[in-house]
Amino acid sequence: MLLQLIASSFSLGSFYALIALGFSLIFGITRAFNLAHGDLILLSGYLAYALYKGLGAPVLLTLPLCMLALPIVTVVLHRFLRHVREPFELNTLVVTFGLSMVLQNAMLLAFSANFRLLPKADFTMLPPESTPVLNPGQIFLIALSLLATAATHVLLHHTFLGKALRATIQEREAARLAGIPVERMGVVAFALGGTLIGLAGPLYGQSAYLQPFAGPEPTLTAIIITIFAGVGRTRGILLGGWILGFVESAAALVLGSSWREMVAAVLLIALLLLRPEGLLTLRPHRESKA
Amino acid sequence: MKPAKQLILPAFGVLILVGWPLSGLSTDMHHRVLGMAFFYGAFAMTWNISALTGAVSLGHAAFFGLGAYAAGLTSHYWQISPFLGVLLGGLLGGVYACLWALLFKNLRGARFALASLASVEIPKTLADNWDSLTSGSLGLVGIQSLPTLDLGAWHIAWGDDLKAQYFLLLAFMSMMVLFHFRSIRSRWGWAIRCVREDELAAAGLGVNVGAVRAQALILSGFLAGICGGLYAHLMGMIEPALVFSLHLSAMPLVLSLFGGRYEVFGPLLGALVLYPIDQLLFHSLLPVGHAGLYGLMIIVTFLFFPQGIAAWLQKRGKSA
Repeated sequence: MLLQLIASSFSLGSFYALIALGFSLIFGITRAFNLAHGDLILLSGYLAYALYKGLGAPVLLTLPLCMLALPIVTVVLHRFLRHVREPFELNTLVVTFGLSMVLQNAMLLAFSANFRLLPKADFTMLPPESTPVLNPGQIFLIALSLLATAATHVLLHHTFLGKALRATIQEREAARLAGIPVERMGVVAFALGGTLIGLAGPLYGQSAYLQPFAGPEPTLTAIIITIFAGVGRTRGILLGGWILGFVESAAALVLGSSWREMVAAVLLIALLLLRPEGLLTLRPHRESKA
Repeated sequence: MKPAKQLILPAFGVLILVGWPLSGLSTDMHHRVLGMAFFYGAFAMTWNISALTGAVSLGHAAFFGLGAYAAGLTSHYWQISPFLGVLLGGLLGGVYACLWALLFKNLRGARFALASLASVEIPKTLADNWDSLTSGSLGLVGIQSLPTLDLGAWHIAWGDDLKAQYFLLLAFMSMMVLFHFRSIRSRWGWAIRCVREDELAAAGLGVNVGAVRAQALILSGFLAGICGGLYAHLMGMIEPALVFSLHLSAMPLVLSLFGGRYEVFGPLLGALVLYPIDQLLFHSLLPVGHAGLYGLMIIVTFLFFPQGIAAWLQKRGKSA
């Protein structure tokens, strides 16, 4: 029982980290608060579904295709959001709130309110009894989530581009003075975030049902983890994802799954009240000294 | 503009809105759509009262839904008078707003917006799961409709007669215009504006910043709760997914932004333009998904008319 709980929260949490990573990168680098994050994930999931159902593409192939398609969407979004006036955070939040409604209704129109599920990727090479606690779908989910998180971590911490991105997160103006093209970093952030969203979509469609109005939930997840971990901290995000996955799984076990949304909402409010610095992108000085 | 001149346009508007149904040229569908446009305009103004202090809320559906459930449940279990129930709805909304004012007093901007967004989930999940009290996600049905007023020879059936309902909603909206007017053009309204523009300077001028923000929020929650209570009796049925919806949280925001957040008649103008367009035009063109129009309007307004159409029209009027 406990093992099952830990296994499921581990797989859920790893996926949560993947969801939060894209949000955190976009928010950290451009300060654009993307409330349509979850809806974009669902859009990617539906795209995979359409490719699979309409064109008969194998499920594994939909992953790279979505990872190519979604950055285009997010970079276009970035072009629009650049025109938003100050206060930028609040105003982008409101605009993407509108975008979220548009996307939800567009997906409702295109795919109807029926629940859709992508079939799990095929793993015939695994012997069926080799995994007592994790099923192959979960292992696939965990592996890809961790791989993407690790790749983002390497990109951020071990490449020159990553250094520039982190500098932009920490001190936007100083980064500009140091010759970093901050605007271009914004495009990079949205493209990277889009790739992560593109990856998350088909995975979401394989592990949970696609439904046009399901978007706010992953958005909430991403925001909670980002506030918990601070912006652009891959390891913190991974840890936050696991903790949230565990708390939600445990809450679902104890209270019943219908209370899960409330647990997430209470967590978000508590984090906003207790960790007001979680959303600050510009002042990591205190932590860097320690 | 001189004050006298300023009153001409609203007075003219009222004259049309009162005179048109009396002239007999209107149909029941017009009464229904315009009446609901008044209703949502009123709801938008309650939202704007707190938004004027700078606290942009994405969670007014919480007050609305709580008000609707307070009115619906008291009517369902004790059959109390709808007007008393609506008032109780307002009180419940006000109490929840008190909680916000206490807990969120240090949150500003995006943080307040997020906290308000999350606050809807709490009463919603409660209403969804407390089956024995609220009958859960099935919702409450058969809430008594608004009463009939007997004035000798006149029977004003607010529940059944759409024309009577139209006038009731017009009166309701006018009351909200009064509250909204006072939150813009009064000593208190100036304090609100001060708090919005610069809290530090406001405090320096002797404005009690915390109190003004809390007052505006609680008044806003109370009035939004009243809107919710009225909604329960207008519709006769409520369910959690309906009265605590994202759509209801977005509606006042869209209408106010579109009409102009800082104008007395801005939110109302937004409602009178957008709601009929949505209902009469988009509803028939796109039976599913027409609610996306409101999302689209947020984006368009924000990118092209950041001050709202009222201010945009005024500016054009001046330059022409």
